[in-house]
Amino acid sequence: MEKVLLRNIDVPDSHALAVYRSRGGYRAWEKVVQSMKPEQLIEEVKASGLRGRGGAGFPTGMKWSFVPKDSPKPKYMVCNADESEPGTFKDRLLIEKDPHAIIEGTLMAAYAIQSHTAFIYIRGELAFGANILERAVDEATQAGYIGKNILGSGYDVDLIVHRGAGAYICGEETALLSSLEGGRGWPKVKPPFPATHGLFGCPTVVNNVETLAALPWIIEHGAAAYAAMGTDKSKGTKLFSVSGHISKPGVYELEMGYPLMKFLEEDCGGVPNGRRLKGVIPGGGSMPVLRPDELEKVNLDYESVQAAGSLLGSGGVIVMDDGTCMVRAAWNLARFFAHESCGQCSPCREGCHWMEKIFHRIEQGEGRKGDLELILNVSGNIMGNTICPFGDAAAMPAAAFVRKYREEFEEHITQKRCTIRNGVME
Amino acid sequence: MDCWAGPLLQYSNTPIFRHLILMDPIKLTIDGKEVATTKGKTVIEAAAEIGIDIPHYCYHPKLSIAGNCRMCLVEIERMPKLQIACNMPVVEGMSVLTQSPKVLAIRKAVMEFLLVNHPLDCPICDQAGECWLQDYYMQHDLQGSRFQERKEHDRKREVFGPNVVFDGERCIKCTRCVRFFQEVTRTDELSVVNRGDHSTIALFPGTVLDNPLSGNVVDICPVGALTDRDFRFKVRVWYLQKTSSICPGCSTGCNVSGETYQNRIARFKPRINEAVNSHWLCDEGRYCFHDLTGGERLTTPMIRQEGGLAPTTWERALEAMLSGLRGSIPLAGILSGRNTNEEAFLFAKLMKKLSQDCALEVLYQERELSEVQKILMSPDRSPNFRGAREMGVSSNGGLEPLMRKLFDGHFSGAYVVGEDLMGINNDQDRIRQMLQKLSFLVVQDIRMTETAQLAHVVLPSTHFGEKEGTYTNRNGRVQKLNIATIAPEGALQDCEIFVRLLDAAGDKVSYSTPVEVFDALAKEVPAYHGLNYAAIGEQGVQLGGGEAKQQ
Amino acid sequence: MALEFSPETYKKFEETVNRYPKKEAALLPVLCLAQKEFGHLGQEAIEYVARLMEQSPARVCGVVSFYTMLNTKPIGWHHIQVCRTLPCALRGAERITSFISKTLGIEVGQTTADGRFTLSEVECLASCGTAPMMQINDDYYENLTDEKVTEVLASLK
Repeated sequence: MEKVLLRNIDVPDSHALAVYRSRGGYRAWEKVVQSMKPEQLIEEVKASGLRGRGGAGFPTGMKWSFVPKDSPKPKYMVCNADESEPGTFKDRLLIEKDPHAIIEGTLMAAYAIQSHTAFIYIRGELAFGANILERAVDEATQAGYIGKNILGSGYDVDLIVHRGAGAYICGEETALLSSLEGGRGWPKVKPPFPATHGLFGCPTVVNNVETLAALPWIIEHGAAAYAAMGTDKSKGTKLFSVSGHISKPGVYELEMGYPLMKFLEEDCGGVPNGRRLKGVIPGGGSMPVLRPDELEKVNLDYESVQAAGSLLGSGGVIVMDDGTCMVRAAWNLARFFAHESCGQCSPCREGCHWMEKIFHRIEQGEGRKGDLELILNVSGNIMGNTICPFGDAAAMPAAAFVRKYREEFEEHITQKRCTIRNGVME
Repeated sequence: MDCWAGPLLQYSNTPIFRHLILMDPIKLTIDGKEVATTKGKTVIEAAAEIGIDIPHYCYHPKLSIAGNCRMCLVEIERMPKLQIACNMPVVEGMSVLTQSPKVLAIRKAVMEFLLVNHPLDCPICDQAGECWLQDYYMQHDLQGSRFQERKEHDRKREVFGPNVVFDGERCIKCTRCVRFFQEVTRTDELSVVNRGDHSTIALFPGTVLDNPLSGNVVDICPVGALTDRDFRFKVRVWYLQKTSSICPGCSTGCNVSGETYQNRIARFKPRINEAVNSHWLCDEGRYCFHDLTGGERLTTPMIRQEGGLAPTTWERALEAMLSGLRGSIPLAGILSGRNTNEEAFLFAKLMKKLSQDCALEVLYQERELSEVQKILMSPDRSPNFRGAREMGVSSNGGLEPLMRKLFDGHFSGAYVVGEDLMGINNDQDRIRQMLQKLSFLVVQDIRMTETAQLAHVVLPSTHFGEKEGTYTNRNGRVQKLNIATIAPEGALQDCEIFVRLLDAAGDKVSYSTPVEVFDALAKEVPAYHGLNYAAIGEQGVQLGGGEAKQQ
Repeated sequence: MALEFSPETYKKFEETVNRYPKKEAALLPVLCLAQKEFGHLGQEAIEYVARLMEQSPARVCGVVSFYTMLNTKPIGWHHIQVCRTLPCALRGAERITSFISKTLGIEVGQTTADGRFTLSEVECLASCGTAPMMQINDDYYENLTDEKVTEVLASLK
């Protein structure tokens, strides 16, 4: 498999412009800005089958095409570098090791929608990465890739690196825009949608770091080459962040459709310390957990994971061995969502903390009869009824843990203690 | 001088995509009923047009869409997820279900979520009886909450300002209050702070919620989180009797509901009138009834004798008054801006009968208004100055010239109705001397004011809350007052007093009730030709001709 | 003396505001600037920023209180933030937190008496592959062991 996203990261000083250029960097941007029309670029990306890599998996070319071409309002392009999904650390790797690929991709996306102001919204905690990005933007500006009349094309674009200040919800695109507008990270009611009414009410596209970083390769090698990889509906390659009870955690680039068990056992070295697999969350902390018996036929692509009852999401693969107390794991995530809920809408604001409190009680040995049904019911009332997908993100793992490990939860309740590890996670 | 209507209409906010309104007709179905509406409307508006009230908290027709309460979730056929009706634009052929099993279930779920951290305050909460949590619980829920954990706590009884007190635990974070101060008054005193279920509403430390429209958030808060300090613990709202009337604070003529208990006004609430005050009421107007109705009332006519004022009969008082005024030409008559058109009409007739060239004026004084005050208020405190002048209480070019003539000693007699002249400016000594120099002074009022103490005859009358009649606001809108409280025994309606005087003066009139007087004035006053008392209704009628005539 | 930016910081403030198409979008970066300058965002700092940004202090307060990296109270010189989310928890994050707590003699949320260290637990820092880990001010410390923690804390004394 040819590396699309991780092609540069092992090269020393891969973050430097000179190194990036020596490996073919910015050739695609030169081609786009000097000889391609925006419509052509959109068609090419559509043909590649590239889908959003932040978690939603929406076809990128199609997303770009929703921006009204004849709108008199300024258009904005935003790179979502707010990586905060538990178990996900792929964007950080690209930011630190291949910032120019991200910049090049962002510039191309801006060009596609004829935006003249682009932002990279990076989470505030990634100070190291933000500094690298800012330096890279300076380099690119000095080299004439950013700014006015780029390479004599007549096209202007400005690129601003904007740091967040600590809020997972700002990874949701409309919350990101609210934050970028200088406000609380509150998701916006839809309709209208960002493509027509985004940043400051203007047409805006928000794309994930990984999505944008794939663009230079796609333009250089052609849509067909990208589409030749992966499966029918999940084209190309994807980065998978592997963490938890696994021998070789880290970021891996795989062709879409790669079998999950093969990946874990062979590429990642399997579960260490002689323990056995107990559960895998395939797509980041907001996706349903899968039991080992559910993993057999699962391939790492959108359709296959969905068929198994979970979602590919951000590709954050969290591995749990048989020493893990699933009650405590569920509570850990419930606590995460309760902490990160923006608090705007009633089901999420009240429901997330409610579920956290129930999980905590069960974990502490104070579970009651009916608690599990209550969690399932409350999570069901949250799902689909909130302003943004955060509600679903909180509800799905809660329900999944209870459903998949029901016996363990029930034991916790009846025995009033953890029967796996005395409630202490290791 | 279009001082407030423009800004008011500006503040009625509409979602962004409504800029595409083309008045295109849209037909959709709601609960099987066909609705014909226009493009740009939302489902909640279209439903309201056919009388279907979709339950909601955060939605308000005059504020931006927040979409956070989720109470208005409805089912749209062929859409997999429920949608909030307040933000869903109507589409041709859409089919909406507001009573499907899914919708009924989610309403119960939303109620349960909203009640998770809500305190059991009903027994001590002023909102009880008009609380949307209570109301919707009874209409849409009726199930116990399954929440059996420790509730989150927040500040209670936090004084936000002179008129508003906050309870953080009762708050459902609908943000109506925050949006009101962002979008209507543009003063931005409140914001949501913290995150998740620690979210709460807060003032910046050291600031006070005292802008001139602050009381409106008590009206728009659907629960008991923001309550009125003046009304606190006074009376349970289900005991209140509600009477439609007009605020007597200034000539804007905001529509109010005078809400009474045991024959006393307990509070004012605004009534919706898009042509006048929209949904709002200013704080001055909201609480003005205290000063205008309180204090010890006059219950008998008084006449000056050796040693001071003594009670007398109506017959003696009116007789003494007529002969006294007739013998004290030239005459001046000052009417309160709070007297009705009917009263003004009769007053002008009476005074002209007593003295052909008497000088008549309605009390009218102007003051500077701040930007926020200008949203609603007029720069005067005379709700019916325009109507009074149109009825003929106007001959001298305004109050100022009349007062000057009074100070110059030009008049011998004066008839002052409903105003304490000693309180109109800071020159009390000068006014007192002027009044004492008059050879005959009649004062008609509800209390023994300082002016009344100097009178030769004092007549007990009624205040705005005890009257039926009409006011004409600054912009020429004729609006109706209704009787909210019964006047004390012994006091007479001003109309009744004027009719008796006209009779005694030799001019018996065939009308005496407000309806009859209005019919008469409609015939005699050109601007009011063709107006019908019954047609005034709850929203008033506009006189042709628009702007107030400034003098 | 009223709180205000030094001339250099004020220059940075102006440059920051000028980068954005609308002034209000610069609020977060300006707040970060203010936090660096004043140590934390107390009432005075918020009032000052509100004035600079031409917004109501209530609104600025609403923004400050939303983000975990903006501190309304003073914290220690070194802010130790240990990630506690699931992938780190699976690799012993709780043990690391206990170890730091015992070593420094403070509970989570507290600051050492000498004001050098504040200990917090935070959510996922996008470093799950090198768990357990912590962030101290701007720096990440990954693949933590008791020894490594001891080393880092010593180097920061």
